[in-house]
Amino acid sequence: MALRVNGEEREAPNPRRNLLSYLRYDLGLTGTKYGCGEGLCGACTVLVDGQPLRSCMSNVGAVAGGSITTIEGVGTNGSLHTVQQAFIEESAMQCGYCIPGFIMAAIGLLEREPRPSRDTVRQALSSNLCRCGTYLRIERAVIRAAGGPR
Amino acid sequence: MRDAGLSIVGDTAPGFPARQGYGTRAYGNTSPGTPLARWLLMRPDGRVTIFAGKVEYGQNIRTGLAVEVADELRMPLSAVDVVLGDTDQTPWDMGTFGSQSTARVGLQLRMAAATAREALLELASQRLDLPREDLVMRDGSVASNADPGRAFTYGQLVDGQTIEREIDEEVALTKERDFTVMGSDVRRIDAQARVTGRAVYAQDVLRPGMLFARILRGPSFGARLVEVDASAAEHMPGMVSVVRDGDLVAVLADDDESADRALSVIQATWEGGARGSKIDIPGILAETKRDPVAVQETGDVDEAFRHADHILEATYYAPHVSTLPMEPRAAVAEWDGDKLTVWAGAQRPFGLRTELAGMFRVPESDVSVISMEIGGGFGTKSWYPTGAEAAKLARIAGRPVRVAYTRQEDATEGTFRPAALIEIKSAFGTDGTITAWQCEAIHAGPMGYIAQRGAQTPYAVRDVAVHVYCANTLVRVGSYRSLGAAANHFARESHVDEIASTIGLDPFELRMRNLSDARYRSVLEAAASRFGWQSGVPPTNRGVGLSIGEDVGSYVASCVELAVEGREIRVRRVVTAIDCGLVVNPEGVRNQVEGSTVMGLGGALYEAIEIGEGSILNTSLSRYQVPRITDSPEIEVVLTGDPGAPSTGAGEPGLVTVAPAVANAVFDSTGQRVRELPLKRQLR
Ligand code: FES
Ligand code: FES
Repeated sequence: MALRVNGEEREAPNPRRNLLSYLRYDLGLTGTKYGCGEGLCGACTVLVDGQPLRSCMSNVGAVAGGSITTIEGVGTNGSLHTVQQAFIEESAMQCGYCIPGFIMAAIGLLEREPRPSRDTVRQALSSNLCRCGTYLRIERAVIRAAGGPR
Repeated sequence: MRDAGLSIVGDTAPGFPARQGYGTRAYGNTSPGTPLARWLLMRPDGRVTIFAGKVEYGQNIRTGLAVEVADELRMPLSAVDVVLGDTDQTPWDMGTFGSQSTARVGLQLRMAAATAREALLELASQRLDLPREDLVMRDGSVASNADPGRAFTYGQLVDGQTIEREIDEEVALTKERDFTVMGSDVRRIDAQARVTGRAVYAQDVLRPGMLFARILRGPSFGARLVEVDASAAEHMPGMVSVVRDGDLVAVLADDDESADRALSVIQATWEGGARGSKIDIPGILAETKRDPVAVQETGDVDEAFRHADHILEATYYAPHVSTLPMEPRAAVAEWDGDKLTVWAGAQRPFGLRTELAGMFRVPESDVSVISMEIGGGFGTKSWYPTGAEAAKLARIAGRPVRVAYTRQEDATEGTFRPAALIEIKSAFGTDGTITAWQCEAIHAGPMGYIAQRGAQTPYAVRDVAVHVYCANTLVRVGSYRSLGAAANHFARESHVDEIASTIGLDPFELRMRNLSDARYRSVLEAAASRFGWQSGVPPTNRGVGLSIGEDVGSYVASCVELAVEGREIRVRRVVTAIDCGLVVNPEGVRNQVEGSTVMGLGGALYEAIEIGEGSILNTSLSRYQVPRITDSPEIEVVLTGDPGAPSTGAGEPGLVTVAPAVANAVFDSTGQRVRELPLKRQLR
């Protein structure tokens, strides 16, 4: 069983392996976080063929043949993705634990909708949780990454 | 061996009286028996490393400390490295609670940096053969004033040398007008690590040969384990062993899912434990109140009540809430002979080290605790049993062991904000002057300091009696952003609003009439003016409310605008003014106050744990509502502090004014006075 993770072909021995566990503990890609394991916080969000997916609710078999991007695979050759850059510019973080999940969800959103309204951003990120409460900054960062409000 | 370069050493626990039971003089990077710890190292490559026993849980302490040092040393922020919360490398520290001790560590580092600056000037003066008055320091070099081409970088000055200097407590600190980095909006120095996933949290620590553990937990508080049958688990794939050590029963496996599966087939019999579905926490608080402490006592309240124009009595209640940091607790422990290393997300790495050394009867110098990035602390991660669990299991297994709590486990094994029942009786004149104030505040749990925080009245009342009490608790209580101050402020500021409505006076006017403290007055005025507070406007469906507060030495005032639609409360706008003295990093303060506001809204509107059959019923995020991006109001933060006043905390104060301001706005909008949190459950 093969899948691509951040552009690299990977063999996954067990199709029933939880996708989040596979990424974090088998591949060591710990930028994707565990927050609840129940699909309720978004900390584990990755992109599968460009679409955001809660990896804690999926397994390796379900994404076989797909192309997975984790936070480690965002940006190219040491330069940051515009969304990452915007999070830095807006200081959109405190503890940072939720941030990879928000960034992946935001990249997925901008892929579908390059100039989202404030409301669209809020709706798209409404099931990602940030207990530090940096929501306003996250919203501003996503709008900034999109090149300003629509 | 000493590191090359210029080391600045000093008292390992500044601000603590020596040998006060903390053993402050033999901890941290201090060698046992010597009183001094290293705070700063200027390296031959021109970079400076600073060391502090504090931890980073999002409050931006890493950047805050680096900024202070960069300014004192006249060097770019990018040349400052910060080592935090590592018991082998940093000075001892009591723990990171967002309190005054943080400011004290900042001051210590500033003095260390200023001492280094003086030492560098001396070195340059010798090398350039110029008196110090003819030298200028900037951007990491010392140059001749007359001939700026004649210069040495700091790295060149310390190259080839190993110098140690003691912190000069009398050293001149940089004046505010000369600050270049401090006080300007600087971005976090650890921002890049956070957006690239490279920041490493305790949940992310993976060691070679490491086993994954899952621990058997009881079904209810206080249940005792009678019998375990682990036979079904023993031969499952991936399983390594089932371990029993007293009450600790755990499965160890090669991977996380094997451990989960093995745990699920263990049969255990439990005895005792709490029961019953109807649990009356306010009743328990009232019945078991004890250990009264007089927080404030002046004049004679009874006498004042006898002569009062108006008397108002009311009882307020704040439930237990879950702290719920996004990162559940985790720890990895590894033994090398009798030496132990634990990677954890603990807010008290040195406290955890003491605990571990005691538990395994090894000297503290053989135990290293390394606090990783902490994915949210809010005080609850001072309680960190995970470290000891991992260390016990690793000792038994002879391999590194990872204990990582699930979300539910973190809720039940963590701590909760103490529930509080607060009775207030006040007397006041028809003109709004408060003449007597009596407050009895009962907070769940044995820790009186939690209850005391924020219990005093800031109003200039002649006759005052404020007492706080401890009481029994069913759940483990602990720190939560602002401790008991959130509940105490909710009660007091709601009550003051009730006084205002009793006599028909605007809540802003009423407060101003009773406040003499200039800092309170100025934050209240600042918040009201930014908000556009208008006195005496009759209520519409747009409710407005305000409140004031003080926590960890900082003064706050908040104004809130909301709309109530049925049982939905939509908070639209919050303006908070904060006076936290000298502001090291305005952007950091705003971020903290915004975050406290959002967290405060959760507690104000819908957060409360539910207890039934001896356990917490809503540990899952599917049953415990926390604020989402769609709930976030507009938040404006006004900084009003005097830069001449010492820096005080900014991580917690922003929370204490939220619930009362929201409750007061709900009253403004609906005429319903809700005296119990969370408001949404009480709304008719
Ligand atoms: S960890 Fe997957 S949604 Fe929370
Ligand atoms: S920054 Fe801490 S949870 Fe979002």
